[in-house]
Amino acid sequence: MGLGIFLIIPFCLVACNTNQKQAPVAAHDIQVGSDLATEQILNRHLEADPRSLDPSLVTDVVGQRVADDLFEGLVTLNEEGHTVPGVAASWETSADGKTWTFQLRDNARWSNGQPITADDFVYAWRRQVDPATGSEYAQALTPIENAMDAAAGKMPPSKLGVESAGPRTLVVHLHAPTPYLLALLANAYLDPIFEPAVKQWGDRWTQPGHMVSNGAYLLSERVINGHITLEKNPYYWDASKVRLSKVVYFTVGDNDATTDQYLAGSLEFTERFNVSEKDRLQRILGNQVVISPIFATALFAYNLTKPPFAGNPKLRLALNVALDREILEKYVDRGVGVAAYNIMPPLDGYDPAVPDWAHLPDDARHALARRLYQEAGYTDSHPLEVVLTYASGGPGTRRFMEALSAMWQMNLGAKVQIYNEEWKVFLQARQLKQPTFFWAAWSGDYPDPFTFMQLYQTGFGMNDGDYSNPQYDALVDQASSIKDAAARSVLFHKAEAILNEDAPVLPVYYYVSTHLVKPYVKGWQSNISDRHLSRYMYVLGHQES
Amino acid sequence: MLRYSISRLLGAIPTILIIITLSFLLLHAAPGGPFDSQKKIPPEIKQNIERKYHLDEPLYKQYFRYLGGILAGDFGPSYQYRDTTVNEIIRTGFPIDIVIGGVALFGALLIGLPIGIMAALRRDTLWDHSSMGFSMIGISIPVFVIAPILILVFAVNIHWLPAGGWQKGSLKYVILPASALAAPYIAYVARLMRGSMVEVLNSQFILMARAKGVPRRLVILRHALKPALMPLVSFLGPAIAGVITGSIVIETIFGLPGIGRAFVDGALNRDYTLVLGVTILYGVLIVVCNLLADLSYSVLDPRVRY
Repeated sequence: MGLGIFLIIPFCLVACNTNQKQAPVAAHDIQVGSDLATEQILNRHLEADPRSLDPSLVTDVVGQRVADDLFEGLVTLNEEGHTVPGVAASWETSADGKTWTFQLRDNARWSNGQPITADDFVYAWRRQVDPATGSEYAQALTPIENAMDAAAGKMPPSKLGVESAGPRTLVVHLHAPTPYLLALLANAYLDPIFEPAVKQWGDRWTQPGHMVSNGAYLLSERVINGHITLEKNPYYWDASKVRLSKVVYFTVGDNDATTDQYLAGSLEFTERFNVSEKDRLQRILGNQVVISPIFATALFAYNLTKPPFAGNPKLRLALNVALDREILEKYVDRGVGVAAYNIMPPLDGYDPAVPDWAHLPDDARHALARRLYQEAGYTDSHPLEVVLTYASGGPGTRRFMEALSAMWQMNLGAKVQIYNEEWKVFLQARQLKQPTFFWAAWSGDYPDPFTFMQLYQTGFGMNDGDYSNPQYDALVDQASSIKDAAARSVLFHKAEAILNEDAPVLPVYYYVSTHLVKPYVKGWQSNISDRHLSRYMYVLGHQES
Repeated sequence: MLRYSISRLLGAIPTILIIITLSFLLLHAAPGGPFDSQKKIPPEIKQNIERKYHLDEPLYKQYFRYLGGILAGDFGPSYQYRDTTVNEIIRTGFPIDIVIGGVALFGALLIGLPIGIMAALRRDTLWDHSSMGFSMIGISIPVFVIAPILILVFAVNIHWLPAGGWQKGSLKYVILPASALAAPYIAYVARLMRGSMVEVLNSQFILMARAKGVPRRLVILRHALKPALMPLVSFLGPAIAGVITGSIVIETIFGLPGIGRAFVDGALNRDYTLVLGVTILYGVLIVVCNLLADLSYSVLDPRVRY
């Protein structure tokens, strides 16, 4: 999902920085057995309340998390976060790669016992693009024929390129071969929907008691901003392998409150903690603190529509080169971000284009940055003066921005003033192209380079800095429509190298996931999508001392 | 008294209407809309969403549509939680605020009143100075300090109570948040009670009663207590509203699903209907609490008649 990770941190009151507890905490030794616990219940965490439980309306990470348990699309994810067959048992692609035919499982059922048919997908996808639904993610269906025209109301939703060829056969027609289609299909907005429930209950079909779902779990209770309780769905096609009988998601927005609830035992699998407490938590909890890379990059964008960055790639590059990312990683971020020199986070099967200067020793790198800075027309007596705009995100963010500003001052003599805006105000300013230098973090929608590369194509909605390079556009277009994975990877690599040279953005670090997980919670693995389906998880017998 | 109450309530209608109008205008004037996100939505799709929620209509139409809804008891759909209505959020969240706030205030009275009375009766003794000193600390320390300390001690260290969350009807989830919320109110109540008690004890009718030989205990219970409660009653009106609306920090720290948190999140997410709905509720609550406080004067003080 597109998000500025530390920007979406929900409202964090002053408690964030006043709650730095230094007092020793009771020992958290937990003896874990090797047998399953008699009660298979897991208390999980949501860092915000999902905006909707209707899969067509899910736009946030938390909504996707719950939808992963409640619904299942044609494909789903395994423990490692890789795409595996879901409702579809198999599929084949036409020679031109534009028609996909999915065979649905015979034993796939809704939570009311009725069989899942191809029509359930046809209905859900048409509903997704139907203007009356008002879905924010209708554009995610762009690769499917006529999706955007239907969403814009120029065509009826029935013209969408999806049809059933028999109760268990679904045919999807695409504009172009879409190599990342499977990754896309694992997202909530392409899950099937049980039409009679929507017809009967309207917008309220997602309430407990009304909802008919097809995932490993069904909805039993929902309290807005409180908790969402799921119970095992006996009709799920793979129910015999599902071990957790009940999963409760608690909404806790504040990071300190999250840590407290974990330490007190009411949360067993958290999505976040206060990173400034990382060292203390590692000391008392050991390997219950789990930090691992995810598919997201913290970056800043330059506004290329106005001075000083318009038409001055050397200045942009100077700022990129001058940052001491390792110092940021080590001291400011406390190892909860990995230094990023190029936009693409590490991804299996992709060879990233790391700029040469990234390998230079600090002195040589600083010298290069100063040279570029001077060539761009700036000196000590005529320094760059610019405002860096970001959205509020608590004291940690402020500290981070101050460190950046100090580095540019020290390494270049540039005067970068930091300016904080409320999230929605910031978004509007960005869309109006007001800030000159601004926060533009991105988290990939699916594990494929395209989700990052398309951001900087000419005219793309999220390209707020207005970067445009025909050569880059052509490479990304070409890469997005060929099937051969190796050839795609090469094209994306070339495109990324162009970005490194043109420097329309400044990558700073790759995000990591920060979980606290009780040692008796098993059946999950860190993965770059940071999606962990409860259907694989289980609880071992344990005793706390 | 009934006439007075009715006229007060009718008088509150324009106040509430002004609150609604101002909030409506201010909310819509704030930059950004409910469906703005970093993932930019193509204009056609944004139009679809705005049409669904009538956000494409002129502002005055939206305003009257909203007022019409309120008259029918419908606060509209929440923009932030798209499958929920504002009525539903209030219906599930508000009782939690009432329970936490009610228990906190009741506890504050139960503890604060005796402390204040004792301090007044034993003026300038060690009891007086130490209890008033402690209550000063209670007033000075903000809830966002008290709450984490309570969690650290009772939830994290000794595991007696949960660190947060809410289970309907379960007392153990109420104790910590209500205690944290009550702490400053205990202190206020104690100091207020001491002050007014001291004043009443020095007044002439008390001297008269003592001179007539009424025993000290009776003087305090029968003659001093009632007038001494007057300032407390004026305090309680706004305090009831304050304790219920002021639990936003508590809700955040304890992860309670009350409406305070929804209110703040709603403001940040430009959930116009949710913010307006809660604003109206808070407005009505304050008006009603103040009215109740005024009415109770007449019960306590024979000189006050409505």
